[in-house]
Amino acid sequence: MSESEPTLQKPNHQTETPNYDDAYDAIVVGAGLSGTAAALTMAREGLDVLLLERGPAPGTKNVFGGVLYTPTIRELVDIDDAPLERYIAEKKFSMLSADGDETAVSMRPSAWSDDPHNDSYTVLRRRFDEWFAKQAEEAGVTLITETTVTDVLRDGDTIVGVRTDRPDGEIRAPVVVLAEGANSLVSETAGLKDRPDREDVAVSVKEVFKLNRETIDDRFHLDGDAGAAYHYFGEGAVGEAVGGGFVYTNKRTVSVGVAYRIEDAAQGQTPEATLDAFESHPAVAPLVRGGRRIEYSAHAIPEGGADAMPDLVYDGAVVVGDAAGLVLNSGVHLEGTNMAVESGYHAGKAIAAAIEDGRTDEAALAAYPRDLEDSFVVENLRHYDWFHRTIATDRQFLFEDLPRALADAETEYFKMDRSSKEAHTDAARERLLDATGGWVGAAKRAWRFRRMLS
Amino acid sequence: MSTAHPHVPDVSTEDRLYTVKYRDSGESHLGIENADICTECTTNECTSVCPAAVWTVDDDSDGVPSIAYENCLECGSCRFGCPYDNVEWTYPKTGSGVVFKQG
Ligand SMILES: Cc1cc2nc3c(=O)[nH]c(=O)nc-3n(C[C@H](O)[C@H](O)[C@H](O)COP(=O)(O)OP(=O)(O)OC[C@H]3O[C@@H](n4cnc5c(N)ncnc54)[C@H](O)[C@@H]3O)c2cc1C
Ligand code: SF4
Ligand code: SF4
Repeated sequence: MSESEPTLQKPNHQTETPNYDDAYDAIVVGAGLSGTAAALTMAREGLDVLLLERGPAPGTKNVFGGVLYTPTIRELVDIDDAPLERYIAEKKFSMLSADGDETAVSMRPSAWSDDPHNDSYTVLRRRFDEWFAKQAEEAGVTLITETTVTDVLRDGDTIVGVRTDRPDGEIRAPVVVLAEGANSLVSETAGLKDRPDREDVAVSVKEVFKLNRETIDDRFHLDGDAGAAYHYFGEGAVGEAVGGGFVYTNKRTVSVGVAYRIEDAAQGQTPEATLDAFESHPAVAPLVRGGRRIEYSAHAIPEGGADAMPDLVYDGAVVVGDAAGLVLNSGVHLEGTNMAVESGYHAGKAIAAAIEDGRTDEAALAAYPRDLEDSFVVENLRHYDWFHRTIATDRQFLFEDLPRALADAETEYFKMDRSSKEAHTDAARERLLDATGGWVGAAKRAWRFRRMLS
Repeated sequence: MSTAHPHVPDVSTEDRLYTVKYRDSGESHLGIENADICTECTTNECTSVCPAAVWTVDDDSDGVPSIAYENCLECGSCRFGCPYDNVEWTYPKTGSGVVFKQG
């Protein structure tokens, strides 16, 4: 974080390295989850790794909901030392109508309270990413911050290094790992992938509210390190758009946000107005009442699924994490952290093996896409690819008609009057069937959405 | 968006941006490729997708947006959002720009 501009040829915190060219086996672009996982994996395999981050420290440019899923991170570092906020003890899925109705399903399996807590923890990225990168440094990785990669270097078709915005900022190495996240300017500039369409990218805005710990424990019914992850759908969450809202508990703060297609924002539903409406919904407002806003943030989420995945390997380079579109947003699941780490891990292993063989061409690196293909990452992405197509067809039903019909049906079902329970049940059923287009419509929809829970 | 709960949070864009820490590079990392296209453009989608009110089109600007780059949260929405691919979008130089404290 120095004020002077050290050149990459003579870094101020390194000694006796006259030139970085070919001093490293691999250069990683981006110290987010995927980049740091790749760097750490390679360092553990004995490679010399240079990790470049554009922010003043890892995490300063990164935003997520969110829940960090740790099954793979656990293999790389001792996460008991990590700056985790709370483990997820409760998940709630909630339908909000624009009229103020809420219909929710909540779960608190007792198993989640036991170690390893289903590998799901809330974190704040500034703290977590910085800590994670520190673990990589301790494993031997060289981290350089405040350095933006602007392009790759090529020798013919082969990628042989990167260009940065530092004076004399060209660095060469046998492999470049592109871990730049959702705005993957380098991969796009280098022609490794096209910029995703705005239908396939979500805009998200988030606010962190400061509340005291007891208030959070009381409002969310939590004890100790237990935490809650609430996901919201329907017109009351994101208006006319395709997407959702979220509320996550940290130790002494609560994260609140919405994420929906940039396409919908472009049509006129602005991010701030959407956040305002969500935060003022009667189901959400009381959760953060009296909280002080301590940070507003925004970030993009690639959600094109397996269909939108670019090629993952090139001669001398691999693409990992969000840059490769590895995010699962199925409605029920919003997962990118586990996929980012898993892809960085497989890429790191494949690169180490290739370098051991003295080769870094596309064929030599092919173990990475192959292993990823065999992992949960690609399998899950393919499994849920249908979701986006289905949701586009059924948007009006899912997000507007259904939440209203559910609220009406509940009102009927539990109505306190002098008619029989059976009459209430019939009336409730009718409300639901009206919305779903009768038995046939309901059956068709149930069939279309059956895979959401499978 | 709704009439049932008109209790909109009492917070402005300025209030929100005030919570964000920045390091100003002194020069814009955002731009417009071709101003004529903005003049032709009637939808100004850059202004709708931006969560930080960076893009605004004034009455007397020929339809060309002004860009308050210092407020940019670097989310990339304008990059994806402009239907004419007319947004020039780079990262702020050497570590400047937004510095999230929470994320
Ligand atoms: C609002 C929101 C909520 C989310 N919620 C969840 C959730 O609850 N659970 C979950 O699992 N996932 C969630 N995700 C997805 C998850 O955050 C991402 O999938 C994950 O962060 C991707 O990691 P990454 O390393 O690929 O990219 P990033 O974490 O974005 O890291 C990229 C890094 O590269 C750096 N960089 C970029 N370009 C350059 C360059 N040219 N030169 C140098 N450095 C560069 C950036 O500064 C950054 O540090 C959410 C995402 C968002 C936006
Ligand atoms: S940047 Fe794009 S969306 Fe904005 S005014 Fe210009 S052409 Fe229109
Ligand atoms: S990157 Fe995001 S915050 Fe910055 S100008 Fe574009 S839309 Fe606005």
